[in-house]
Amino acid sequence: MNQPDTDADDVMAADFVMGLLDDAEHAAAERRIETDGGFARAVSAWRERLADLDSTAEETAPSPALWQRIADATKIAPIDALPSARAALRGATIWDDIKFWRFAGIGGALAALLFATIMVGALTTSRHLRNDLIALAQSKPVYVAVLVNDTTREAGAIVNAFANGRVELVPLRPIEVPPGRTLQVWTLWDRAVGPKSIGLTGQSRTLQLNLESLPETVQNQLFEITLEPEGGSPIGRPTGPILFKGNAARTL
Amino acid sequence: MTGNGTITAGLRDPALSDQERESQLAAALARCAAGDRAALQVIYNSEAPRMIGVARRILFRQDLAEEAVHDAFIRIWRGAAGFDAHRGSARGWLYAVVRNRALSIHRNEHRYDSSSEGAEDLDCEVTLSRLPETSALRRCLEQIDRPRRDVVVLAYVHGMSHGELAGRLRVPLGTVKSWVRRSLFALQECMG
Repeated sequence: MNQPDTDADDVMAADFVMGLLDDAEHAAAERRIETDGGFARAVSAWRERLADLDSTAEETAPSPALWQRIADATKIAPIDALPSARAALRGATIWDDIKFWRFAGIGGALAALLFATIMVGALTTSRHLRNDLIALAQSKPVYVAVLVNDTTREAGAIVNAFANGRVELVPLRPIEVPPGRTLQVWTLWDRAVGPKSIGLTGQSRTLQLNLESLPETVQNQLFEITLEPEGGSPIGRPTGPILFKGNAARTL
Repeated sequence: MTGNGTITAGLRDPALSDQERESQLAAALARCAAGDRAALQVIYNSEAPRMIGVARRILFRQDLAEEAVHDAFIRIWRGAAGFDAHRGSARGWLYAVVRNRALSIHRNEHRYDSSSEGAEDLDCEVTLSRLPETSALRRCLEQIDRPRRDVVVLAYVHGMSHGELAGRLRVPLGTVKSWVRRSLFALQECMG
């Protein structure tokens, strides 16, 4: 099982770990690790074989400013605890289960409908009950945008905007990100101002979006995900292809 | 910095076995993937001096080595979710990121500069002697005759390309490629 499919694969895995591949081959090997389990195992095996050589390096103190620079640079993506990683810590997989979330989504929609029905009734019932229902409403998004791919019409992600100003991106499918590229989330609040970057991530995962510098989310506000160079678009505007986009709609 | 004292103390702590260090690093990577920024600093405090050393052997310059480690930590933070403990060690994963960044900088720098400062004094035997006596890699490397085993050390430790190896060892490119191939095959046979 630990054997790669062919000797050629093993040679490539060894050269990859040794650092002997040229740039294009190296990038191709990095992509293959993501998709080819046998190749990834061969790479891991070579890493483990040669890893002792790393421990022969002499320790050299970094300059005191280095950590601060790293700390500053890793603030760029406002990453909240992401569900898939929490699941990995617990060993649970329900967070990764798309079927569960589809049903949860449908369930959520039904709950919203039921809630709306109750809400209408609640207007005429006791003030006490009404306050309870308003409290419940705080935990539900006020606006939802379903981001869809223009060509395939597949839904790729949902943006939820809550009453307290929190906005999150929830992916619905894995999005392939080539090495050296990143997913960037944008919103267009005002056409005169143009799109604003609100999040950056190396992979499709739940992301807290940063809309602090923007006014409250409004009806029909455009959200989109584009593929950009690592570190985000260098010019502050989308440069890469639009993967998914959609407009915010008010929930019931 | 008061922090440096504890870093060194932590590294030199003989009570911290390789296994404990490995599980600490794996746990820290899982916490990074969950968005815990303190865990990234745990990795930095424990590994940064060694990582600088690894990058310096490829780049020879402290400023470039720090650049490589800086870039590596950004990749570690963003890519921590990609680490799979079933597949390999946290140590192997972390140092692969550092070496990749250092190699990338090395290739870019040397695109314009064919002389590798410092590369003349490299002694592969010293590196070999720094491997623990118990290391299977050491035992297996010692079974390969010089200069064939040197290509493994020069490529892995100092980031030399096939062309750089051929230049340094004064043999044709094809010979270097066949030495690399045969040495790696011998290592695989010996280590399993």
